[in-house]
This record gives sequence, C-alpha cells and structure tokens, in this order.
Amino acid sequence: MQREREPTVVIVDDEEMVLTSLNAFLTLETEYTVESYTDPEEALELLKKTPAEVIISDYLMPRMNGIQLLAQSRELQPEAARILLTGHADKQSAIDAINRVGLFHYVEKPWDNAALLLVIRNGIERAQLLRNLRSKIHQLDEAHANLKNAQSQLIRAFL
Amino acid sequence: MSAQEPDLKAYVSILEQTLATAKEQLIEAHHMISVGMLLAGIVHEINTPIGSIVSNNEVTARSLAILKEQLDKAQADGAPPPPKAAKILDTLINLAAVDKIACERIMSVIRSLKTFVGGKTHEFRKANLNEILQNSLKLARCEFRHRIEVETEFGELPEVECDAQKLGQVFLNLLVNAGQAIPEKGKVTVRSGLEDDSVVISVADTGTGVPPEQRSRIFAPGFTTKPAGVGTGLGLALSKEIVEETHGGSIGFESEVGQGTTFFVRIPVSPPPKAG
Repeated sequence: MQREREPTVVIVDDEEMVLTSLNAFLTLETEYTVESYTDPEEALELLKKTPAEVIISDYLMPRMNGIQLLAQSRELQPEAARILLTGHADKQSAIDAINRVGLFHYVEKPWDNAALLLVIRNGIERAQLLRNLRSKIHQLDEAHANLKNAQSQLIRAFL
Repeated sequence: MSAQEPDLKAYVSILEQTLATAKEQLIEAHHMISVGMLLAGIVHEINTPIGSIVSNNEVTARSLAILKEQLDKAQADGAPPPPKAAKILDTLINLAAVDKIACERIMSVIRSLKTFVGGKTHEFRKANLNEILQNSLKLARCEFRHRIEVETEFGELPEVECDAQKLGQVFLNLLVNAGQAIPEKGKVTVRSGLEDDSVVISVADTGTGVPPEQRSRIFAPGFTTKPAGVGTGLGLALSKEIVEETHGGSIGFESEVGQGTTFFVRIPVSPPPKAG
C-alpha cells in the first residue's frame, strides 16, 4: 500500500525564498511530492489528513516555533522523520529539541543540498520501515487473535 | 607656587587629553561589544538568503545542463523543444527572482552594519536622522525577530549636522535596551519629529519599566540590571555622553512599572559651536 504513492516531504519555513529553493531542488532531483508552507498551522492541517514521510521545519517562525510544530506533528504522525532546518546559532536549543521532540536530524542554514538530500532519503527510508513494522505488528496481533480464537474453538470442540 | 603653575596646567591638559582619548576608545569598544551581541541575530538574518542562493545556484547549473541536453537532442531530431524544457525555464526564472530578493536582503544588512563599523571617521556631517534610525532598526530587528513587533512613526526631518555613526550607536543602544526590557512578546514604537529647533526621537517599549529606586542611577556608568554578558552598564552612560557632550542635545525617559519605558533623544538641528 505504501508503494502506491511517492514519498511526501513537508517543508515549513516562514521565508518564501527557502521554500522556493528547496521545492526547485527536490522537484529536479527526486520524484517526491513536496508540500511547502509558510504557515505552521496550515502544515498541521495537512498532516491531520495526509501521511508524510519527512517533515522539515524552520526554527524561528511567527506564532509557533519549529520545535512546537515538530512536537505536534509527532502526535499526528509518529513515524514521519522530523528535521529542524535552522539558521539560529543557538546549538543548545537544538540539542534540547532533539531530546524533547525526537528529532531525526538537525540541519544548519546555509544548508548543503547533497547532504540535505541524503538526510531526507534516510528519513523516508526510516519512516517507511517504521510504517511497515507497525503494519507487521498489527498483522501479527491479528494472527495471534485468530490463533487464540481457533484455540478456544478447538478446546470447546473437544470438551 | 606660581613657578609650578604652568607645569600643573600642562599636566592637567595632558590628563584631559588622555581622558578624552580614553573616552573615545571606550565608546568604540562599547560599540563593538554591542554589535557583537547582535551577531547571532545578524548571522541568522544572512544565513537564510545565503542558503537559498547556494541551493539555487546548484539547481540552476544542473537545470541548465539538462536544458542544453534536451534542446540539443530536439535540434538533432528536428523536433520542437520538449514541454519539460519550458517547465525548467520557468523554474530558472523563478530562482533568479528569488536570488535577487536574497541578495538584496544580505546587502541591506551589510549596508546597515557598515554604517556602524565603517572606519573611525567620527566627523560631523549633514545627515537625516530617520535614515540613521532605519539602519539601527535593521540591526535591532535581527535580534527582535518575531518576538517584538516594531512600529515606526517618522516625521519629516531637516538634515542635521551630526556624527551619524555615534548617533547610530545611541539609537541601536536604546532599541536593544527596549527589546531586552520586554520579557516575552511586546512592541517597540519608534517616533521622530521636529520640535522647535530640535529633532526629537523617541523609543517606547511595552516592557517591565524602570523601578523608581533605579531611575536616578540609570545613566551612571557601570549601572546595569542585566546579567553579565548581556549588559556592560555603559550603554546609557555613553549614549548620554554622545547626545549631550558631542551633540549639545539631551536624553531622558519616562517609565511606568509594568507598562513600559519611553526614551527621548533631542538633537539640535544646528550644533552648538563647540560640538564636533
């Protein structure tokens, strides 16, 4: 089921120029579906409805900062890889974020396209593996329930 | 006693000169410290457009190569240019527009910065105080980011004979102080206007205000309520020196605890004869 669509990358930055640049780059180099937003609230609305593999967010934005956004997106889509892309020189806040919202990666501006693409690819792979794992666990649970059911039916048949 | 008097006078004059030089150096050093403190914000302000430009440059180079290949192939086959070529061209036009905006952003920060650190030519020249204020605001905004909303009400001003670099420091100092007085989110309002024969600049914040017991000491050298590394305790003392001694103007403030503080700077349009 997950193979039916191209991976989705969501980018959130209050700077339109960053979105244009990343969009142009990813469109040229990949087949990913790229969704970009200047407004974090709108990005969250999308994440409520559409599965994404990677979420990239700026740190300093009006109304909601990147860590708050990534924390909320974790609730919505725990498997998606969360990446903080920031020009903020404060390393400590990034380290705090890694611990608090389970960041997949922290990328500093100005970013390197090749390095960023590698991080995104790994993020997608991780998200797909996690989703597959979850679906396998689900299948296992179902099989286990079926087995238990069959077992109790067997016991009942013999009693 | 009278024989020693000329010696003493000479000594006093040497001391006065040394003091004046030390003061100049102190102003310069303080200024470098205040710009240094803004550096994180300035780096952030520049990093975003640089990131865009670097990325766009790579994408442009790659796109041009693809475009050339496609056009060469179409030409060899005698076919019209493929539709993808038009799409690539649109992207390139888009990226060029972004690059222009990005470069302008960087240039504007650098220009503001240059007015602060551009050499040591402390001289009086005719300048528009609104422009000086704009440059100070540009740098302060790097620090304020989304935390502080800035409102400006600039009146029409005549050009004023002044030391633009030093006044820029005073304004930057007042703006940074205003930002630091606001604990979380708030607003800084900057106004300028002409009153009689002086230009009056005001910087108002919606911060915590100055407690009454601190008001008499606020311009004293070394007085600060900020933690070490944030304030030097010299900003307002040096601002007062620059406004009053260098420009023959005046500086003052009104404050209400819990409401905010407004600083006023008054600079005479024509400097007093001794200024400069």
